[in-house]
Amino acid sequence: MKKLSLLAFFLVFSMLLTACGTSDQTNGSDEGTSEEKKTLRVVTDAAYAPFEYMDGDKIVGFDVDFVNAVAKEAGYEADIVHVGWEPVFVELEDKIADFAVSAITINDERKESYDFSHAYFLSTNKILVPEGSDIKSAADLKDKVVAVQNGTTGQEAIESVLGENNPNIKKFENTVLAIMELKGGGADAVVADNTVVEEYAKNNPDDKFVVVEDPDAFAAEYYGLMFPKDSELRAEINEAINTIYENGTYAEIYKEWFGSEPDLEDLKAQQ
Amino acid sequence: MDFRFDLIMDYAPLFLKGTLLTLGLSLAGIAIGTALGLAIGLGKMVKNKWLSLPFDLYITFFRGTPLFVQILLIHFGLVPLFTGKTEPVTAAILALSLNAAAYIAEIFRAGIQSIDKGQMEAARTLGMTHVQAMRHVILPQAFKRMIPPLGNEFIVLIKESSLAAVIAAPEIMYWGRAMQGQYFKVWEPYLTVAVIYLVITLSLSFLLNRLERRLSTE
Repeated sequence: MKKLSLLAFFLVFSMLLTACGTSDQTNGSDEGTSEEKKTLRVVTDAAYAPFEYMDGDKIVGFDVDFVNAVAKEAGYEADIVHVGWEPVFVELEDKIADFAVSAITINDERKESYDFSHAYFLSTNKILVPEGSDIKSAADLKDKVVAVQNGTTGQEAIESVLGENNPNIKKFENTVLAIMELKGGGADAVVADNTVVEEYAKNNPDDKFVVVEDPDAFAAEYYGLMFPKDSELRAEINEAINTIYENGTYAEIYKEWFGSEPDLEDLKAQQ
Repeated sequence: MDFRFDLIMDYAPLFLKGTLLTLGLSLAGIAIGTALGLAIGLGKMVKNKWLSLPFDLYITFFRGTPLFVQILLIHFGLVPLFTGKTEPVTAAILALSLNAAAYIAEIFRAGIQSIDKGQMEAARTLGMTHVQAMRHVILPQAFKRMIPPLGNEFIVLIKESSLAAVIAAPEIMYWGRAMQGQYFKVWEPYLTVAVIYLVITLSLSFLLNRLERRLSTE
């Protein structure tokens, strides 16, 4: 009995400690707002070229340049931290991070738990297959083994065709591993955001992969910056996003990474 | 914090499937690892340095590098080299067995060498050959001493099979990660996963305890 109560004591004690830990965190960021130039903690999963990826020990990519430009416009400093895909959501839920940038698609399911900024990028899920594959559309993926990144819209897109938790869907830690599985022959296709698979096919011609699109099965998606629910920062950031749309900074960054002009009208129409 | 039991119920059939695969991976790893470990342990004890060198190198590599690295090497490198395609379950069994064999080899060697030299000398004096003495005198005594460290290794192996989730072998941890990916919850998937592993490892240590008591001579 004595042992039991001791155990209970430790459990309660450790819970208290965790509670203290989180409240400290929120206090800290509240105080920070009064400072001149606050540093924002921005979390990401830096394994998603060309949006965010590691170049040596530095995080680079379109998202990184975009966030830095937005933060500068809003009068903040952005500290972008690579935490991994699922921890991104945990950090926002616990309000440890100020916001997340990770090519995150705005959808209704996520809107229930988080707030989003204005859309900043248009994306579609596409299918990466080896050259000469008989897969020509999403419907052809039935009875095929498909590799995806766990918890992404690519997974949702393929689940809409094959059904949830179908054993033919292999879920990987990140898209790089999923593409390696395709390369290794353990999967017939990869479903992921168009920019990622197109960049991969273009930069690795020796792998002989081609990209198949099916706009009827996989609808267009928009990326947004993701905030904790009811974040006060959101309005400021949204304003800054509109400013860099207007002053050409956004188009400049876009052209630098993708070599084409962004469709600003379409992005603004989403607001 | 509201704990959603209904989400766990949704995933229960998948966790069950995952548990079966984890058990399969672990049992295969234990069986192949033990057989291979015995051979490698004996190989390392060969007096001739050149003959024992490969066994020594094997143990050095598999004991000195992380299992995580070995799994990725075997899955994306070794298995496709032989079969032409990646195969998560095969790769997981291979990685777990090869890794466990290195540790089990050392457990066997330690067990055999812990038996007093006089035992072998006495057996040889009675006219037994080296092999007979090994089989009837040394190994039975050594085996008893190996049970606790072997049990330890088996439990480590069961837990480490969770690393197979990274190559998408659909074992318990894989479904835990899938559940987290779907609902963005932490406690529900991972506490469930932790409880399942605990039940498996507790059952194994219970069985090993009974075996140990049965073999005890005191």
